[in-house]
Amino acid sequence: MTELIVTLIALTLVKATPVIYAALGGVISERSGVINIGLEGMMAAGAFFAVVASFATHSPVLGLVAGIGTGAAFGYLLAFAATRFKVDQIVAGTGINLICAGGAAYGLVLLFNQPGASVQVASLGDKYWVLVVAAFVLAAALQWILYRTPWGLRIRASGENPSAVVSAGLDPLRLRTYAVIMSGALAGLGGAFLSIGELNLYSDGMTAGRGFIALAAVIFGRWHPLGATVACVVFGFFEALQYVLQGQIAWLPANAMQALPYIAALVALAGVTGRVRAPAADGVPF
Amino acid sequence: MNRYTRAFAGPLGAIALIVVLMSLAMIVAGTSPIDGFTALFVGALGGRNEIGETLVATTALLFPALGICLAFRAGLFNIGAEGQLLVGALCAGALGAALTVPGPLGIFLMLVAGAIGGGMWGAIAGWMKARFGANEIIATLMLNFVAAAFALELVSGPLRGPLAAGAETAWLEPKYWLPALLPGTRLSIALLFALALAVLLQWVLARTVFGYDLRASGEAPEAARRSGINLGRITWLALTLSGAIAGVGGATIVSGELHRFNTQLSPGYGFTAIAVALVGDLQPLWICLAAFGFGILESGGLAMQASAQVPKDAIHVIEGLIIFVLAARRYVATRVEGTLP
Repeated sequence: MTELIVTLIALTLVKATPVIYAALGGVISERSGVINIGLEGMMAAGAFFAVVASFATHSPVLGLVAGIGTGAAFGYLLAFAATRFKVDQIVAGTGINLICAGGAAYGLVLLFNQPGASVQVASLGDKYWVLVVAAFVLAAALQWILYRTPWGLRIRASGENPSAVVSAGLDPLRLRTYAVIMSGALAGLGGAFLSIGELNLYSDGMTAGRGFIALAAVIFGRWHPLGATVACVVFGFFEALQYVLQGQIAWLPANAMQALPYIAALVALAGVTGRVRAPAADGVPF
Repeated sequence: MNRYTRAFAGPLGAIALIVVLMSLAMIVAGTSPIDGFTALFVGALGGRNEIGETLVATTALLFPALGICLAFRAGLFNIGAEGQLLVGALCAGALGAALTVPGPLGIFLMLVAGAIGGGMWGAIAGWMKARFGANEIIATLMLNFVAAAFALELVSGPLRGPLAAGAETAWLEPKYWLPALLPGTRLSIALLFALALAVLLQWVLARTVFGYDLRASGEAPEAARRSGINLGRITWLALTLSGAIAGVGGATIVSGELHRFNTQLSPGYGFTAIAVALVGDLQPLWICLAAFGFGILESGGLAMQASAQVPKDAIHVIEGLIIFVLAARRYVATRVEGTLP
């Protein structure tokens, strides 16, 4: 029994980690005033290019760097569209999701000549725990940055009242651009954790809605880095629970159990009514 | 730009963009665009069977695209058409396998079951949004995964056909198959239903009070609320109807194309349909044209992959890029007219 609980806790933290990275990306982006619906795609792109880089260089660390860089690049794409072209951010983010998921599938056939999944590459192996710890450290750091530093104040101001930022002699569009690039980088890191941290390959659909679960965590965590992290741990718990229970209790409907984390996210989404408020200029082009 | 040039600039611009991007994807894959497009068009339109398959894909895309269009016009971003289609198909398949009534009545009941199933799935998100203010984008997407998990559970167990090899329901009796439209192909009269639905939706949006309320809620929610429109009611109605339309689409795939339900029945139609709806400028009649265009890409894509070695998934990249560019185009268009600073 003790062993089971330890397994459950460990698995909870591992399953929460990629979602935490993406959710932190979601927090910083929405705090600056840009809704990043493209988190899911940025995770997939990060996961894919982490595998490609690890395959090419045999270095999982360079794989992580590639994952972060890919996410940042797509973050820049969204930021550029959101600040320069004032696009509908939801539509643009949906576009990014399709580009990334389709692009990874296209890349699998092109580079590895096999649809569905890549070959196995060098992974972080048992060192992936560093990234698990780093996720929580990063959450605390981001909380401090957003609420205790001038730069954090500016980011939050861009999302609450961009005109006030202009009055202070700063450029909210530039701040938003930085924030969304960081958001993409974090999502890319979360994706890289999925592909070369937990596993050692990329397979189609491996992000499985985690980018959207992260967005639910952002709302449930009231747009606070630490709040979102707690929400991610809750979702991670349900994902881990599903794996652990499947092995333990034979009569449970195994396929239906896979819906558990998504149902948890739905309940969380509905359960926070009226008690949360998004940044005032969240999703509003400036 | 006047309204006529704009009406053409949209679809034509989108087509030009698709051609350029497809060419790039082909060159990257090491095929000349001429060979690639030849393979694509021969694969999509090269014969009776190919045209049939293209129109099958058109039909499968048109239903969810019309549903998405209805929700988008109400200002609701429904990205759950995939799940709504799946639930609709599951309800139709499960009912159809158990029915013992005359054929036409059975088909009608299956389509109704599809509408109820898909509508219920959309209604969950609509109710969550109207009652709790839950974000419909996240809710509809989460429900896709829930639908897939439950569908797999049900057809692996209680609803699994006695002789099924995989996770599938029992075969429908032939009297419950939608009649063929193009004999010798898999194309059924579902295409006509879809086209009729497009006309109906166009009429509802443009000419009825409900359509007006819907558009008002989407374009100016505050003004709509102050003029007495019940936004909560519009929200759940729009998402329910949106899901119901996608669900009927799922039912027609079961009754007209596969003749049973299996969990692999949609290769992402619900997501491609988002691109279809946006390329069609959220106008039901333009969406019919867009669905045909994407139907060519879907069915020709397989042939292109086989004979020109261009991965079919290139098409999904292009869909994403088109959505992305269209989002920017709207800004450029309004800026040219000077309505935005």
